[in-house]
Formats: sequence, C-alpha cells, structure tokens
Amino acid sequence: MPQLNIVQAINDALRTEMRRDPTVVVMGEDVGVNGGVFRVTENLYKEFGPDRSIDTPLSEAGIVGTAIGMAINGLKPVAEIQFDGFLPPAFDQIISHAARICWRSRGRFHVPIVIRAPYGGGIRAPEYHSESPEAYYAHTPGLKVVIPSNPYDAKGLLIAAIRDPDPVIYLEPKRLYRAFRAEVPEGDYIVPIGKARIAHEGSHVTLIAWGAMIPVALGAAEKMAAQNVSVEVIDLRTIVPLDVETVIESVKKTGRVVILHEAPRTCGFGAELAALVNDKAFEYLQAPIVRVTGFDTFIPQARLEDYYLPDVGRCLKGIEKVLSY
Amino acid sequence: MPQMTLVQAINDALKTEMRRDPTVIVMGEDVGVNGGVFRATEGLYQEFGPDRAIDTPLAESGIVGTAIGMAINGLKPVAEIQFDGFMAPAFDQIISHAARIRWRSRGRFHVPIVIRVPYGGGIRALEHHSEAPEAYYVHTPGLKVVIPSNPYDAKGLLISAIRDPDPVIFFEPKRLYRAFRQEVPEGDYTVPIGKASLVREGTDVTVITWGAMVRVCLQAIEQLEGISVELIDLRTLKPLDIETVLTSVAKTGRAVIVQEAPRTCSLASELIALINERLLLQLQAPVVRVTGYDTHIPYLTMEQYYLPDAGRVKKGIEKVLSF
Repeated sequence: MPQLNIVQAINDALRTEMRRDPTVVVMGEDVGVNGGVFRVTENLYKEFGPDRSIDTPLSEAGIVGTAIGMAINGLKPVAEIQFDGFLPPAFDQIISHAARICWRSRGRFHVPIVIRAPYGGGIRAPEYHSESPEAYYAHTPGLKVVIPSNPYDAKGLLIAAIRDPDPVIYLEPKRLYRAFRAEVPEGDYIVPIGKARIAHEGSHVTLIAWGAMIPVALGAAEKMAAQNVSVEVIDLRTIVPLDVETVIESVKKTGRVVILHEAPRTCGFGAELAALVNDKAFEYLQAPIVRVTGFDTFIPQARLEDYYLPDVGRCLKGIEKVLSY
Repeated sequence: MPQMTLVQAINDALKTEMRRDPTVIVMGEDVGVNGGVFRATEGLYQEFGPDRAIDTPLAESGIVGTAIGMAINGLKPVAEIQFDGFMAPAFDQIISHAARIRWRSRGRFHVPIVIRVPYGGGIRALEHHSEAPEAYYVHTPGLKVVIPSNPYDAKGLLISAIRDPDPVIFFEPKRLYRAFRQEVPEGDYTVPIGKASLVREGTDVTVITWGAMVRVCLQAIEQLEGISVELIDLRTLKPLDIETVLTSVAKTGRAVIVQEAPRTCSLASELIALINERLLLQLQAPVVRVTGYDTHIPYLTMEQYYLPDAGRVKKGIEKVLSF
C-alpha cells in the first residue's frame, strides 16, 4: 500500500473522485496551472483540464458564491480557500447562503460543496495564515465541519465530504501536511462523517482533540504512560455533526476530561464539549473539565506562536490538573 | 425624569455624546436624512448636519471599513448595521481589521468604533432580520460585546461604548425597541461595560440571560410559585462579569441559561464550561440550556416555536430543580 503524506492523500482523494464523477470540479486561487500553494491540487489541471480545475480571481466571496451556484445546478465543486485567515471575506456567502439554501428552499435545492482550507498554526507564517476558526462554522446551522489528523482519514473524509449532499467545511491542519506518511489505500474508500476515532485507549483520563493537536495529545499520552497514567485520546475527526456517543462513553469510563484545541478559548468548540459532558455525564465527573487551548488573543506572528499553541508540556499540565483534583 | 422607550434612549445617548464630543459621528444606511429604519438616529442629521450624520451606500463592509479608518485618524464613529443578518458582509472588516489593529500595531493605533445593530427575533421579520449572532463576536479576540435589555441600560451602556477606546459590538434587542418605557435620566451618565445586573434576587436557582430574554425570564419567574429564582442580566457578553455569575451559582447550586441563539458552540456553552470549571462541587444539577434550535431562525409564522418563551424557560427551571 502506498505511503502518503496528508497533502498527497488529499490530492489522491480529489483525483479519485474526479475520475469517478465528472461533476466534481476543483476551483480556487492558483489551484489549476500552478497546482495549489501547498501542491494539493497538483496535476489535476493536466489530467482534467481548465474546465474542471479552475483558477479563480483572488476573491474568496466570489469563489464560494460561484461554487454555490454551480452546486445548485448540478456540479460538485471543491473550492479551496488558500489560508484559514482568508475565510472571513467569504463568510457572508458561507453562512448566509451555502448554509441556508436547503433550509430556505424547504429542501428543493441543496448545496453539495466542499470548502477546503489549510488550517491552524505551527508553520511560522505571517498574519491570517495560522487561524483556527472552526467555532464560527460549528455555531452556524447547516454546515458540517471536518478536520482530519492523518493521511488515511484525510483521504477517506474528503471523499465522504465530496459525496455529502450539503456544504462541508474541510479544514486541513497545514503543519501536518508533510509531517509524516501513513499507509493510504489506492482508489475508493470513505471515512464516515460524524464518527470519532479512539486514537489511544486509556482508562484514567479522556483527552479530546482534533487536527494538529492529535500528535500533541499522543505525545502527552506517551509521557503519562511512563508514569502509569493511562490516557484515552479521542480524535473527533468531525466536529459537526459531533460523535457525542464516543465522547460520553469514554467520559463515563474515565470520569476526567481534558479538551485540547488551538483556537482561542472563549466560545471555542471546547466550550461546547464541556457543556455536552455537563449535560450527559455530570454525575460521572470526578473533576472539573480542563481546557488546554490557545489564548483569547489572535495567534501571534512567527516568532511567538510557540507560546500560543498548546504543546505537550501544556497538555501534561492539563492532565495533571484534572488528575490532582 | 423623562419616560423613554429603548429606541428613544439610544437616540438620547447618541445626541448626548454628539453634543459633548465633536469627534462622535453616526454613519450607516438611512441614518441621516431618514433618521434610521427604526428611528434610532432621528433628528441627528437636522442638529449635526451631513458631516456628522452620514448616509452611506448599502455596503456593510464599506461602512465598517470606513469607520475603522476614521477611528484610527481621530474620530469616534458609531456605525449602524441595519439588521443583525447584514453583519455577515462586514465580518471580514470586523474580525480581520477592527478587532486586530491595536494588537497588530502593538498598541500604536486603536479603533474606538461602536457597531450598533438591531438584534434578535420577535418582530415577525424576514430572513436575515432576526438573527442572534453574538457567539461569533464573543469568540473573536479584541472585541467587546454589549447588549442592553432596558432603556436605562441602553443609554448608559451606549455612552460607555462610545467612550471605550476599542471596538464595541452593541446589540439592540429590536423587539424591545418600543416594548415599554422607563425613567431615563437626561444628560450624561454611564453604565459600565463588564458589569452584569442582578435583576431579581433568589436562592433556589440562578437564571442567566441577556437582551430580550430578560423579560421572557421575568414572565416565567412570575408564573412559578414557591420557587425563589435569582435572575442575572449579563448586559455585557464580553468582557463577561463571571464573578456575579459564580457568586450566584455558588449560592443556589443550580443554573439555567436562556438565549435566542442556536445552542451549539454558543455563549451558553462557554458559561457552562466556566461554571463547571470553577464550581463543579457546588453544582447540585447539570446546568440547563434553554436556547434557539440548531437551525436558522424561521420566518414569521414559525418564529414563536423557535424563540424561548416563558413556557420553555419554566420547563428549564423545573428540569434543573428536579434533578
């Protein structure tokens, strides 16, 4: 089985679906001739031509708006927004239109688009290139939000997202793009949207994370194992719809929860997880839920981002806090 | 003391600050000659002229972007976005610029703007006219988020917001604009940003809410016999007066949060996370959320099924008490 990194797995997913389904198109800034700023769409232009691999103007609202119209009329566009920080110019198209058209038309029209965006910090980038905006989209009804953490999931989730009849925000942890390789099957397979994965089994504390925080969580679990503390790491993979059963089942077993995310804390997705655990597993909790997150400021530029992003050390402090209560 | 509606109190706040400080201006769609779609800016064009009561093109992104530039250069613009649902076109200017310029310039520049927006449901409006988008702005660093529930607070909070050195999102619960009158002092006074209000004292359960839901909760409380409910009106959603919330919940051991917005990843979620973090051992029941549903608010004929009403609030209170 081929060993692929996340960029290659996503490229493979796009090629697989474009070969299978002639209505699938990719579009975005530099995705065609150039092959994408991160090379995610490399060679799609050569294989599928300019009608299915579309270089757009530098206008995110235009990219998403055009994709919505194409989708309503029968295509399945996969639109790339070049960086997470460039999603806001398209925000109105995403929340006021893409997310609402099925609802607004009482199900007569739907919008099968995928909006792909490189996501999160850790690559020493300038402003607008390291954001974690998932909470905005998780709060918006009508959107699905998917965040893979490894090459196998990246391919299978993207194929599932393309086949989904509704808009999917697909956030790609850019610091993992080339971080490691994993076995990725050739051809067609899916990883279902809405199913979390137990990335590491454990019994003393549940550590919930997604995206680029998964390697951090696994690093912390390994360190704790050396102290005979068994950490269960849940990789959510999809934050909307949320696999709340997997989360609650684990919390009932461990009684202690740490939530790990890059985004600012206040009203982040960690807050929703804490609220749901409070709703559904209140009597099982042996300690308050601990959130290890970015701070309530913008992610700083290159030199300071290491102080902002949760790392293994901060994650360990969170685990120790929840264990020592 | 004059009796004013909420919309008159806002108009009075704007007039008071524009008289006091020549750098304060209002701008937005139809805020000048017309006096605003809800009459919040009535008479300002006549008193202060077209340079300080500015009719803008129908372009929300342009309104906020222009206000940012004016603010950096010494003015204090109060920009009106005509309805909550029209904030989305200005989202990039708000979160990528207004919220960041102090941070980006290491404090060299700041952006003293107020973005005023009629907010929430309950007036039988069309799509994009009944939204409760506060969670987007509470999640964004660098913004303050204020929401009054009565005329007195509306005037005092708006004056504080105008004098604040940083961007303030000022949500006006539009179903309360003309719902009732209250004594509002003439002239200058402030209600501080970041201080909640204890609307009603009680000992059995804490209800935490804001905006138009304050009255809904009061109705519910009046219908409940033999239960002593403490009602907190947050007034400011960011910075959050968490001390007032925690003091109350530590006393009652039970909390209900009531909001219009969809449930998932909302301010109610954050409140639960904070209460859980600091008061787990004092809680006698899981905190209950009474909220809008995880769908867009429906059109006029269905909105009463979406918005929390006294009946749903009562059920929430009964649920937290019966755990």
